[in-house]
Amino acid sequence: MDKNTELVIKDLRKSFGKNKVLNGINFKLTEGERVVILGPSGSGKSTFLRCINWMEEPTSGEMRFDGELVTAKNIRKMRRDIGMVFQHFNLISNMTVMENLTLAPLKLKVMKKDEAEKRARELLKHIGLSEKENAYPASLSGGQKQRIAIIRAMMMSPEVLLFDEPTSALDPESIGDVLSLIRELADRGMTIMIVTHEMSFAKEIATRIVFIDKGKIIEEGKPNEFFAHPKTPRVQEFLEKVL
Amino acid sequence: MNDFFSKIAELFSTPEYIDSLLHGFLLTMQIAYFAILIGVALGTIIALIDTAKPSKWLTIPKFICTVYTTVIRGTPMALQLFIMFFVIFAVKGFPSIITAIIAFGLNSAAYTAEVIRSGIQSVDIGQKEAGMALGLSNFTIFTKIIAPQAIKNIIPALGNEIITVIKETAIVSMVGMYDLNMAAKDIGSGQNMASYIVPMFVAALFYLATIYLITFIVRRIEESLRKSDLRTEE
Repeated sequence: MDKNTELVIKDLRKSFGKNKVLNGINFKLTEGERVVILGPSGSGKSTFLRCINWMEEPTSGEMRFDGELVTAKNIRKMRRDIGMVFQHFNLISNMTVMENLTLAPLKLKVMKKDEAEKRARELLKHIGLSEKENAYPASLSGGQKQRIAIIRAMMMSPEVLLFDEPTSALDPESIGDVLSLIRELADRGMTIMIVTHEMSFAKEIATRIVFIDKGKIIEEGKPNEFFAHPKTPRVQEFLEKVL
Repeated sequence: MNDFFSKIAELFSTPEYIDSLLHGFLLTMQIAYFAILIGVALGTIIALIDTAKPSKWLTIPKFICTVYTTVIRGTPMALQLFIMFFVIFAVKGFPSIITAIIAFGLNSAAYTAEVIRSGIQSVDIGQKEAGMALGLSNFTIFTKIIAPQAIKNIIPALGNEIITVIKETAIVSMVGMYDLNMAAKDIGSGQNMASYIVPMFVAALFYLATIYLITFIVRRIEESLRKSDLRTEE
């Protein structure tokens, strides 16, 4: 059976005032793919990721999710199927871990309370943080927060999971915990897009690498080819610096 | 010194004086209470309009709010009170307490709006984004995430504003109203200079005790709201 196309993006552009950040991105995402987005800082890679679930509203271009045109009106519905994990975790600080996990399923009426709490407990147990159920985010370490943020996104069983530099704000030890959780999701066939600076992780997890510079995709390919034989001088230069 | 204590004894043993002070205190509290209610209600509306995402429907309301807060905060309270008394509500027989409540309420609204606006804007943008990414409605994001966090920032400054209003009502004595401040002056007048001392200090104690009580209550509220900020678990 052919894999479903999740996402098709045509000529995506985004400007902040006069500052043109994305200059026409064309992109297609297929079910089960794990796309790592690389690029120098300020290249627009985070903005690209944030445009996918309209954390930033695109200035122009066309976006289809599951074949349906994404608009300002239906984006809220789409977001149920597009989970996002942020660099700074963004756990809701006035809610306990349990409340964070069950907020969306309950508010969007996709689960009953006992059902949502059962699933939350299973996921918490799985990441070894069962005892943090009633803790507030302020009492958690960065690594714990990020792993909870990941399972919070998983509560809604999204089709795609977006990671915006998920380990950039973590200490080295926590990075390992968070990466192994992402790796596990990948092994289970989750469709994933990640912006990251962890090159070895990118190489290991990606089914495709996308390189963005000055708001455009300038090179993409399978990780082996991409890292071993970069085609464009800009990518060669970038890899020389980071590897 | 003997004279001082005898004055105190005199004040507290003369029912008319006690009566005057209590009446004055009651008027002060009535004006302050209703002014604060108006201030919080109107201030909240202004703050919500101010912090709302710009759209063509809100262009004019936003402009009005800006002009309002600028004018109110840019002119003296005493002048605003005079304008209310001698221009806008210069109708014979119109109850002066209503005029005073409106004057202080409208004034407090501008300051309260600023307090609430800054409270809302100080909530980390990531909190809103988390709600958006989960597919929540703007209403849910505001009521469940933004507002509960904003209140923590708002309460201390709002307590400050309440205290300011209570003390500032003392200027109603300038338009002849018999508030606590006026009562103190009235009791002391018609005698010698020294006779002012005792009633004024007593009036000061009334203000001080009230404000101390409010400060205490605000502290307690702050503490209970800060529960989720603690780094230890419950």
